[in-house]
Amino acid sequence: MSSLSNSRLNKLELVAAKIRRNVLDICMQRGGYAGQGVALADIAACLYFDEMREDGKGWFYDRFVLSNGHDAIMTYGALAEHGSYDIADLRSYNEDGTKIDQSPIEGQLGFEITAGSLGQGPSQSAGIAWGERMKGNDKRIYCLFSDGELQEGNVWEAAMFAAHQKLSNLVFIIDNNDLQATSRTQDVLGVEPVPEKFDAFGCFARRVNGNSIPDILDAFAEAKTITDRPYVMVCDTKIFEGIDCLKAALPAAHYVAKQQADWEAGLAEINQKIASLEGASDG
Amino acid sequence: MLLDGPAIIEPAPFDDISYDLCQRRKDVVIMSADLSKYCQIIKVKNELPNQHLDVGMAEQNLISVAAGVAKAGFVPIATTFACYATRRAYDQMMICMGTGPLTSIVIGFTPGIANPARIHHQAAEDLGMIRAIPDTTVIDPMDATEFQQALNVAVDTPGLVYVRGHRGNTPRLLDGASYNFELGKTYQLVKGENIGVIATGHATQWALEASEILTQKGVSHSLLHVPTIKPVNEQEIADFCFAHKSVITVENHQIVTGLGSLVSEIVCDSGGGPKITRIGVPNQWAPGGTLPYIREQLGLDAATLANRIEGAA
Repeated sequence: MSSLSNSRLNKLELVAAKIRRNVLDICMQRGGYAGQGVALADIAACLYFDEMREDGKGWFYDRFVLSNGHDAIMTYGALAEHGSYDIADLRSYNEDGTKIDQSPIEGQLGFEITAGSLGQGPSQSAGIAWGERMKGNDKRIYCLFSDGELQEGNVWEAAMFAAHQKLSNLVFIIDNNDLQATSRTQDVLGVEPVPEKFDAFGCFARRVNGNSIPDILDAFAEAKTITDRPYVMVCDTKIFEGIDCLKAALPAAHYVAKQQADWEAGLAEINQKIASLEGASDG
Repeated sequence: MLLDGPAIIEPAPFDDISYDLCQRRKDVVIMSADLSKYCQIIKVKNELPNQHLDVGMAEQNLISVAAGVAKAGFVPIATTFACYATRRAYDQMMICMGTGPLTSIVIGFTPGIANPARIHHQAAEDLGMIRAIPDTTVIDPMDATEFQQALNVAVDTPGLVYVRGHRGNTPRLLDGASYNFELGKTYQLVKGENIGVIATGHATQWALEASEILTQKGVSHSLLHVPTIKPVNEQEIADFCFAHKSVITVENHQIVTGLGSLVSEIVCDSGGGPKITRIGVPNQWAPGGTLPYIREQLGLDAATLANRIEGAA
């Protein structure tokens, strides 16, 4: 962690803040999964702007698989910052007739699989990892899924398979926010201890503060040193982490309707943060 | 089109088919959920291990890993019994394979009543389930020749392709030199008048047996083989139906949602048309046992089938 330069950290903190702003900008139009998008901004900043290698053609050499469709808002927020999406187009998210699906279908830019039916990303990313390795490519495959998805058996079939095949080019990123559709995960059907479970399935798992950029980068770096099994980042996150006023107002919001949040207050807070970070980087 | 003389019996058709295909197409991966031996995948597993991938006894994993393998640039052929592919992993077939353009093949072995273990190992509803998915391809080949040719087409067909498999002693009825499988095409195997029989898959074998009896009895009839359940050539099927006074469908599948339903839908959409009698597995649990026994119990043995066809006219 000592190798993390200030400029690298500042850059990623600024990108994360801008992703948070993009998430609010998109969700304030008609509602959306804003709490997850905001909470995942640090992971997205590290993933898209530091970890995944670019292909030299404006896209990424490494591959990202989103398993839980509703976290598409994270990808939209990040790819708007990347320049792959226009924020004006993204504002049609959740609008009748839009091409910006709330939970996208395979083939849409940034989305390798149809991700709305939960628990199917890990196996598909394992299949991609197996295939890329078979082709002799050194591509790394990242799959994001949620703690709620751990209740789906297909996820554990994938973990067994990925470990058996020693898919060290595969990184599972779990958004461990203790929240699922109707309640807290621990109240619906507890999934902890998550790292120990993946370890028992033959993976290399580690608990990560999903809102700490240094911690996330450290895990990504460690993942590359594990050469005989898939790596699992169990990222503890909190809904709306990074925007205090919304986190306090809506600490357990699976979905936020347009009228439920004080979007303007949230935007003001994150814009202030962006200005502060830009000032810091200028200095 | 049909070979003369007694049928040649292939004891393990998919072993050769899969091996030949993998030797010609290095991008093909034969996948299994711990049933390679029971789908007769021996040579690929032993001699071409890089083109064989077993995911363990986990059909949802089989289909979703296969969808990922396709996304890495390969052509996966996921093999298991039809009951498991469709009933245990239907959502994965629809969502992981069915919503994108990449070729992803699933072979459902021992379909319909072609499995001795009743109910749980039989799949008399797979054709109906898969043909309900938009933009899919569904093929029910009648013999070893067509099984091979259908797979040769499948590996170059975009999207989800579901093929019913044959294992064990399988007749070779079609002459590979003169027969050419084309997606969506129908094949008239017998030409006659009044009675029009339409069959697919294993049931085309049964219909040919019944046809022989009807011919011996001097009962004129036609037999149309429909290997592609989706996409179908509706015009060819409608033309065949309207050219006969009575139509009888025969299928190794429930009479609900399968070939009989498909033909009925086509005729219904045309308006008017002949009476259609659907013969197959009734909408009730089929018995277990040997295939001849199950066929006899369901009135699908050659003699009973011939009588039913003649009686329905």
